Amino acid sequence: MLKSTLSGLSWVANSVAIAANVAGTLTVLALVVLLNVDVIARGVFNAPLKGTYELVQLSVVLIVFLQLADVVRVDRLTRSDGFLNLLHNRRPRLTANLRRIINAVSAIFMGLIAYIMFPEFIKMWGTQDFFGVPGIFTVPWWPIKLVIASGSALASVIFVLKVVSAQDRPQLIRAPEHDDPKASRPKP
Amino acid sequence: MTPIEIGLISVVAIVFLIYAGVYIPIALGIVSMISIWLMRDNFTLSLNLLKIAVGDSAMVYSFATIPLFTFMGLIVSKAGLGRDIYEVMTMRFRRVKGGIGMATVGANAVFAAVTGSSIASASVFTKVSVPQMIAQDYNPRFAVGVVAGSSVLGMIIPPSAMLIIYSFVAEQSVGDMFLAGVVPGIMLAIAYVGAIWFMAKYTPNFVGGRTVADTEWMPKREVASKTLPTLGLITIVLGGIYTGWMTAVEAGATGALVAVVIALVRRSMSLRGFWDALLETGHITAAILFLITAASIYSRMLGLAGLPNQLQDILAGNAASFWTIMILYVLLMLFLGTLLDTASIILIVVPLFLPLVEAMDLSLVWFGIITVVGAEIGLLTPPLGISCFVIKSTLNDDNISLKDVFMGALPFAFVMLIVLFFLIEFPTLSLVLL
Repeated sequence: MLKSTLSGLSWVANSVAIAANVAGTLTVLALVVLLNVDVIARGVFNAPLKGTYELVQLSVVLIVFLQLADVVRVDRLTRSDGFLNLLHNRRPRLTANLRRIINAVSAIFMGLIAYIMFPEFIKMWGTQDFFGVPGIFTVPWWPIKLVIASGSALASVIFVLKVVSAQDRPQLIRAPEHDDPKASRPKP
Repeated sequence: MTPIEIGLISVVAIVFLIYAGVYIPIALGIVSMISIWLMRDNFTLSLNLLKIAVGDSAMVYSFATIPLFTFMGLIVSKAGLGRDIYEVMTMRFRRVKGGIGMATVGANAVFAAVTGSSIASASVFTKVSVPQMIAQDYNPRFAVGVVAGSSVLGMIIPPSAMLIIYSFVAEQSVGDMFLAGVVPGIMLAIAYVGAIWFMAKYTPNFVGGRTVADTEWMPKREVASKTLPTLGLITIVLGGIYTGWMTAVEAGATGALVAVVIALVRRSMSLRGFWDALLETGHITAAILFLITAASIYSRMLGLAGLPNQLQDILAGNAASFWTIMILYVLLMLFLGTLLDTASIILIVVPLFLPLVEAMDLSLVWFGIITVVGAEIGLLTPPLGISCFVIKSTLNDDNISLKDVFMGALPFAFVMLIVLFFLIEFPTLSLVLL
């Protein structure tokens, strides 16, 4: 019973993380498009877009906090686990427990960020404060605070799930993105 | 305990925790929070500082350079531009002993100008260059060493993620940092080529290999089609920044668009590949920017503890000379470089030394170049040389061990150190383009 609840919860959290990741990924694309439209509008038509600066700021926050949970999920958050990998060969159980402790501490830290940012969101929702230049282009604060709070909360949940499942695998390097399919691989 | 003692202990604690395998941003954030709490005996204050740091530091306009240049680099790697440059370069250098090694360095230097990551360079050139060198009887250690050594160029020659990170910590313009990286990067590439020539002449056994007699020249049109896309991209990005027509952020976006167009024209981009590149861009950006956010809490903590000023007083009080400080600084970076990645070294070390450098009236742009080159040496040194890891895992060949990669990279790490001392002694090398 407990086990199926847990795997259900982990499925939900992971799916939300992947969905947020897709949203963040689309933000990257939007950023590229926005800036190019601005450069062309300014260079060719001498008519820069309004609010590019504010939108770029907004998109940076969105990219980071929408993707953070997924970064945690695939274990790409910056760390140096050379020592843990060495230890894993000799004392696998001790290492697994160390990883659990590290994930638990991380869950607390991300939880703290969510805990302090959520009231900010409530406050900004109430006041409807904004940034930017009034009359030209403004962005409300509350979506930013909401994304930071919920992104951190989700990351915290995923850390908790990692504590329970203890499924971190030691690897030399995690960088699948640099595969160049056309280059010939040496045959072993 | 005085704040300075707490600050000192927390720096040591952070380094210890990172060595123990704690996620670097978590280690930076949580230790800094606790030490602010202890220093001021006020938990709410430390929570407030955390809130400000998280809210503010993710909102910086110039941070958009990180996703944009990362995306451009990924697309360019997938489009096979690195391999093309390499092929043209090999044709030129083939008849010299050690020539393919020199070609790899040259191709890396050019490729570095369109990608900001050493990891990308290392994996691309491991696949195209190492098999060819081994086929021509080069010593495998030399072959992987060349790729490891020259991959470092990716992070020194702009656009470079490390220069962007430094420009945030030191509050310098990203464009200035990029321009400052050009000459030192070219210098390092030339030094590598010189070192290969030297090794081929005096330690031929380490290099190995045979020269190829056949002179099969590539037709001019092919040369053009293989080099012009890359050269065009470099012109647009660096030219746009240099002339001041574009900000670094806009240059990144334009470069990304041009890279996509190049990839489409060459039909080397599937929808799947495009999406993967976007996805990876997001992951890399989130990881780097979260690290920067955590580091901004750390530098606030250092400021509260007064540690950087204390360091300045100690060194000034002992009338430490310029070179004493520089050698201390380089040694510290080499020590941290054994286990930390470049970004973390920059974020941990720079806030400590910044006031000192400012007080000595030294250029912060120059200091950034020194920092990035110094921290990059760690990419090549055991036990945690990330470039060497990438090569080992890309190579997928059990005959070449991780130790071979490290041994092969060692001469190049040494060359880097020599170049670093030149850069320290002659700041004009970094500042000439500004």
